[in-house]
Order: sequence, then structure tokens, then C-alpha cells
Amino acid sequence: MSDFNDDMNDSDDGTMLQKRVDRRRALGILLGGMAAGTQAVSACSPLSAATDEKRELKHLEWQEFIQKHYRRMNESERAETIARLERLAKLRHGEDVTIATTDAQPGVVFGYAFNISKCKGYRSCVEACINENNLDRNADTQYIRIFEMPDGVVDLDHADPTYDHEVPAAGHFYLGTQCFQCANPPCVPVCPVGATWQEPDGIVVIDYNWCVGCRMCMSACPYWARRFNWSAPEVPLEQVNTNQHYLGNRARKKGVVEKCTFCIHRTRAGRLPACAEACPTGARVFGNLLDPDSEIRWVLANKKIFRLKEDLGTEPRFWYFSD
Amino acid sequence: MRRPAVSTVFCITALILAGCQRNDSARAESRPVLPQDTAGKSKLEPGALATVATAPVTEWKGPGKKPFEVTVRTVDPVSSTSRKFGSVTLRTSLRARTPDIAQYPCTSCHLGRAIVMADERVKDAHQNIKPLHPKQTGAACSTCHASDNVELLALKSGERATLDHTYRLCAQCHFSQAEDWASGAHGKRLDGWQGRRVVLGCAECHDPHKPAIEQRIPFRAPLLERPRGQDK
Repeated sequence: MSDFNDDMNDSDDGTMLQKRVDRRRALGILLGGMAAGTQAVSACSPLSAATDEKRELKHLEWQEFIQKHYRRMNESERAETIARLERLAKLRHGEDVTIATTDAQPGVVFGYAFNISKCKGYRSCVEACINENNLDRNADTQYIRIFEMPDGVVDLDHADPTYDHEVPAAGHFYLGTQCFQCANPPCVPVCPVGATWQEPDGIVVIDYNWCVGCRMCMSACPYWARRFNWSAPEVPLEQVNTNQHYLGNRARKKGVVEKCTFCIHRTRAGRLPACAEACPTGARVFGNLLDPDSEIRWVLANKKIFRLKEDLGTEPRFWYFSD
Repeated sequence: MRRPAVSTVFCITALILAGCQRNDSARAESRPVLPQDTAGKSKLEPGALATVATAPVTEWKGPGKKPFEVTVRTVDPVSSTSRKFGSVTLRTSLRARTPDIAQYPCTSCHLGRAIVMADERVKDAHQNIKPLHPKQTGAACSTCHASDNVELLALKSGERATLDHTYRLCAQCHFSQAEDWASGAHGKRLDGWQGRRVVLGCAECHDPHKPAIEQRIPFRAPLLERPRGQDK
């Protein structure tokens, strides 16, 4: 992993990396030649538009296959990749999506606080998350889990995440989990290909085009925050959220890992995550940990707070508090 | 955010207005003019929540009609031991609730008179409102509503607050919640984590007449998981 990072930092004079890029480039040139050939054929033959689209799709899929790691792309390569992904979304699913590559704001580290006195277990956050992040409706992927527990003890081993009755139930309280965007994320160093990393604003992200689906990160996460796509995610066309981010809620493929990104496409634009916005009880507090006047800092300084599995040293940026 | 008595009051108001067409002009003149909220002018007690400035907000596209901006000052750090952040001043925006009264003017019945509880109309017009809160004072209308002008809230200090500033009334008893609300640990922030802080006022979520939270069916449970040790 560290070798990989070194490669990325000094890509100009790393000979190993140069070789790798060369091989990749050579592949691209080869494929480009193939594509040019097919285009020449299509230009002089009376083929239908559907066939052209099929050919374009094939071409773009090859281009996608040989694309660079997200962090190695320069500005023009990023723009090219985004244009390709947007076109692919149109060709594959008929979706007109906008994929952003907004970078982290300087001086911002996101933190989250969850009020276990206020949460009533309505699961409105779960619903909002599914819609916002284009989660697989077929496999019923959910990033957020709400646990129902009897009053008096936080015992997640005997908590019930599948409760299905009127809430709030008497004598019970509710605790929600999702990716905690740990400051010391155990899922990142175990990735054999460097497809997951932590951004400057604390969000742990995945390049879905680089992920090989080995699921090492899933076994490394002590909070079970990551989800695997056993099949290609299915989202009804009319329910697709077209406001997307490359590192966030864009279309995933079969065989890649995904996770909560604190709604990276919203929070980097100054908005609240969808779960915090949807919460009807105001149990979710989100903000900038580096801003001393923020609500999250007030909660951390004035409330009794705890985190899950603190002894593991993962330093989650997700706190629980009570009134 | 619930307004239970809204439709009933509106219907009855419409009926009354229809029956008293000829008195309309006289009523319009006798309708008391809403005074401006006077909080900014009064001297602040230490630890008091106060409205310091009001200004129109134009860019907010929230669920309300005409939001306004208040500056809510949290508890004085000197007089409080639990404070860590000193005098935090959060520019806070709330939804204006006063314009809602124009749809259902209290004064079309009350006309500035004192509230007569025994009147049959009280039952008719406010049948959705059960006097449940606050229990400690017997839940009379006049505990919170000003008897001389029911469109205003009566504070214990003798001041009047408009319905925009419900937090001033609520904070008289629920002071710890008010502190949490002013600081961001209670209540609901709209819009975003950055920029203008737009929050919901007390009565947007809590029905002042019926504050207990009712049970309801949650969003569907996850399909794949079962609690540990319970294979179904």
C-alpha cells in the first residue's frame, strides 16, 4: 500500500510506474486503433443508429476498462472520464446524469453526532439514503442500520435492526450506524490496489472503477459499514438521483464495494447529508469539526458523548450523545 | 408542523363572516393592529434568549412562506457553569408564522375581548384542541395566549411575543431544551451545514396543545438481516 502511494506521489520519475503507465497507454493506443477502424467501417456502411450506439457503447466500455486511477488523473483526464461516464449512463440506462468531481473544501473535516434520546426509529433516514445514493433496490442495499435496544444498556449483540412495529416502542431506544469515516480507517490500508482512501475532509471514498472486489476492506471494517454488489445494482429509471459524484452515488458495477460517503455530492456543496435532512426528530447533527462555532463542536463540548468500539483506535468521526 | 385546528377554524370563520357581511367594515377598523415584537428594545437579563435583530431573508427557499432572520444569543457564559464556548452568537433564521394568521384571523371572533371559556363557540371553533399542556398550570388558554390579543403570546415578564417567537414562550419552562436548541443540539437545521443557519422553531415540530409524540409505523425493515441467534 505504501509503495502504491509513493508511486502516486512521484509519478514523474518512478520507473516502475512509468512502465505500468506505458503498458496501459499502449493498450489504449491499440484499442483506439480498433475503435477508429470500426468507425471507418460504420462511416461507409448504411448501419442503423442503434448499431452505432452499440458500437459506441463497446468503445466507451473499453475506454473505461483502461482508465487511470482517480487520484492520478489530471484535469483534462478527469473531464474526459466524467464525459465518458455520463455518456455511458445514457447508453446503458437512458439516464441523463451529472457527475461532479468536487474536491474537499479547505479547512473542513466533517463530523457527525447522533442523539440517541431523540431518535424514534422511524427509519426516515434509511429511506432518504436509498433514494439519494441510488442504492440497489433489488438487493435492498442499505448503508444505515437502526438498532432497537431496551433502555439502559448499549448492547448491539442483542439489538434488533429488523424491528417492524409501531415506533417508538415503550422502554426501548434507537441507535443508528453507518460508515463512521474513521480518522484511522482500518479499511484503507488493507486494500491491495489502493482503490479506497481518505479524502482531506475525512470522507473515506472508493474508486469504483479501480476496485477489484476482493472485499478485504469489508472484513477489516469493525462496524460492518461496507456493502458489496453481488449483482449489478438496479434502480428504476424514474427514481435515479441524477445529481451524482464520482466518489459517491454514481452508478456502481457488479463486483465492487460501496459505502456511505456522508453524501459527498451534497456535503461538499454545503448541504446536509440526506439522512440528516430527512430526520424528522432532529437527532442528527452534522458539521465542520474545524469550525469552533459549529453545532457539532458545541455538542462534543457540552454533551455526554461516546463512540462505538473506541478501544480499537479507529477514531470514528461519528459520536453518539444523549440529552 | 401540525396545525390541527386549521381547517375547522377556517370553516367556522368563513361561516361567521358570511353571516355578518354588513359588519365587515366596522370589524376591519376595530381589529387590533399587531404590535412589533418588542424584545430588541428590552434590556437583556443574563441567560435570556432574545431577539436582537430582524431582517427579511430573500434567498431562503424553505418550506415556509416569508422567513425572517433573528439573532439568537445563547446563555451568558459568565453566569453559566456548563458553557465552554463563551458567548456564541449564531445568526439563525426561522420561518415566519405570523402570516399564517391572515388565513384564520383570531380577531374575527375574539375582537380583542377577553377569552370567555364558557362560550359555546370555544368548543365549536377549537374542538381539535384538547387542553393537555401545560398540565402544571391547568392548561388554560391564557397560560400562553394573551387574553387581550389572542394573536400574541403572553410571556411571564408581561411582554408580548408574536407567534414567530414561540421559543421565547417555551423557554420559560423548557430552558435546557432552549439552550440546546439555540446551540444546535436540539431541533432541526434546514438548508445546509454551511452558511446561514436556518432552523425550525419550537411549534414547527411540537404541537403546543398536544406535545406527546405518537407512535407510527417506520419505513420498512431491511430484508436480509436477522438478529443474531434468531434464524427465522
